[in-house]
Amino acid sequence: MTGAGILTRAADTAGHRHVDRGVLRALRARPAARVGFVFAAVLLLAAVAGPWVLPDPDLPDYTRQLAPPSAQNLLGTDQSGRDLLARSVAGARSSLGAAVVVMALSALIGLVLGTIAGAVGGTADAVLTRITDVLLGLPTLVLTLAVVGVLGPGFANLLLAMAVTSWAGLARIARSAALGAWQRPDVIAARMAGIGPARAVLGHVLPGVTAHVSVAATLGLGEAVLALGGLSFLGLGAQPPTAEWGTMLAAGRETFAHAPWQLVGPGVGLVLAVAAATLIGDALRDVTDPERRR
Amino acid sequence: MSAVVRRLGQAVITLAAAGALVFGMLAVTPGDSAQRVLTARGVQEPTPAAVAAVRAELRLDDPLPVRFGRWAGDAVRGDLGVSWLTGRPVSAEFAERLPATLRLTAAALALAVGLALVLGTAAALGAGRWPDTLSRTIALVFLVVPSFVLGVVLLDVLVVRAGLGRVIADGTWATVFLPALVLALGSVATWSRVLRTSLLEAGSAAHLRVAAARGTSRTRRLLVHQMPNAIAPFLTMVGLGTASLIGGAAIVESVFTWPGVGRFTVEAINARDMPVIVGFTMVAVVAYVVASLVIDLVCAWIDPRLREPR
Repeated sequence: MTGAGILTRAADTAGHRHVDRGVLRALRARPAARVGFVFAAVLLLAAVAGPWVLPDPDLPDYTRQLAPPSAQNLLGTDQSGRDLLARSVAGARSSLGAAVVVMALSALIGLVLGTIAGAVGGTADAVLTRITDVLLGLPTLVLTLAVVGVLGPGFANLLLAMAVTSWAGLARIARSAALGAWQRPDVIAARMAGIGPARAVLGHVLPGVTAHVSVAATLGLGEAVLALGGLSFLGLGAQPPTAEWGTMLAAGRETFAHAPWQLVGPGVGLVLAVAAATLIGDALRDVTDPERRR
Repeated sequence: MSAVVRRLGQAVITLAAAGALVFGMLAVTPGDSAQRVLTARGVQEPTPAAVAAVRAELRLDDPLPVRFGRWAGDAVRGDLGVSWLTGRPVSAEFAERLPATLRLTAAALALAVGLALVLGTAAALGAGRWPDTLSRTIALVFLVVPSFVLGVVLLDVLVVRAGLGRVIADGTWATVFLPALVLALGSVATWSRVLRTSLLEAGSAAHLRVAAARGTSRTRRLLVHQMPNAIAPFLTMVGLGTASLIGGAAIVESVFTWPGVGRFTVEAINARDMPVIVGFTMVAVVAYVVASLVIDLVCAWIDPRLREPR
């Protein structure tokens, strides 16, 4: 690193951007990651464009209950005669949206606590690390069930429960990133140049930590979709009129033997979402972890 | 020896912290506990006297630390309180259902370990060739199909349409295969990948090239020389995964109407039956902590390098 520009953020961000471009290129070279990106693009496109193209997902048509797939309803209809394609696409919006909210909340908690632990050190670090370790030493799904039990079933409560039980891994990542950044030459130079600790953290440590945590949180989206679907399927999350994949599967169970097409939309949606996150995540780990590069 | 003591102490601390956490959640639960006990018992608009009677009965007016001490003491002795819904001791309700859950998780564990050993070993033996690709693809499919989707499909296709097995699971060994398989698949994916990676890592050691040069067969190298070195990370994953099977069991039990603790707890969550929810959490946490403790001790027994305190 050269002396000039060491204190400016421009040098830092330019370096980051350079690395990111290399990672993206390496990812694109991997077929598995490309498949993952295609899945993600399909889901996003459906979620964004769906409402303009498809009929109202909540509009019942009691003359067409449990109709098999046809030109009019490509994936058939459910027990209230609602179009299942429209509902599956609406489900993509609520499931993916909810997963993003969960991971954003837990990334925020992890970012704040991890950065404090890494940059402040001392007692704060010891206490926060102990809490993080205990949380990491407990089964997340069980804790989520417990918090839902306390708050009561419901979509918003489920999101909250998942966020407060899944931040520990992200906090650990944030802590080690903050610890590393705090000892970087440019941050030490900035501190020596008289920049206060708060400003050093906000201006020089936080950007790098945020990058690390947001990558990890993005990779957690697949698991979040899975947990949201599973718990909604159990009736602990989204409630019946809402078009959500887990809830749709649960609602279709009674009539599933006669109308198996009810499973296609939510099932495919869940598989695509989890596959996209897994494929991209695996490839990203292979690309960025030198030990796994073979 | 000191490493063992240290590890035991760590387990106790985790349990104590988890207990405080769970009790703390109970304490911050919105709404009046006595009111909710009465609602759970079906009393819609209780008189103030009834509420006061319940408060006295549950001794809710004591200071929080006193209540925590009493709760923790009872929990250590196996007394998890009384279900708000059924009025029976939570431990009695669990004792009735725990055998079914243990049968399910034990069967799932055996299936998962077996499948992961086969897939992981095949992938490591044929690294970079078709067995590796096949194993990776199978693992990916297992990973991305959610258990509740697979469970619903299997129930419809195999049980209802093809007439194999029974629709209503009764919690015995006769009906355990399908739910156990569904519960196992997600773990198989991760475990087989971990086994493959550590087998390959163990295979790159210098003494294996010597063994190969002396004419030791590929299979013997793998089973006698690589497996013992590679098994510790695999066992760690299995230990942690076993306990998380208990969380997954709640979902699978509900899909297959398996009469276990997990399904009972899901019903309790819908009814806001707090003692049952708290009891389930503590049982699962204890299982998790004990499992990871046992695995760490087993790993230290297999691998002498792990015995020294770091």
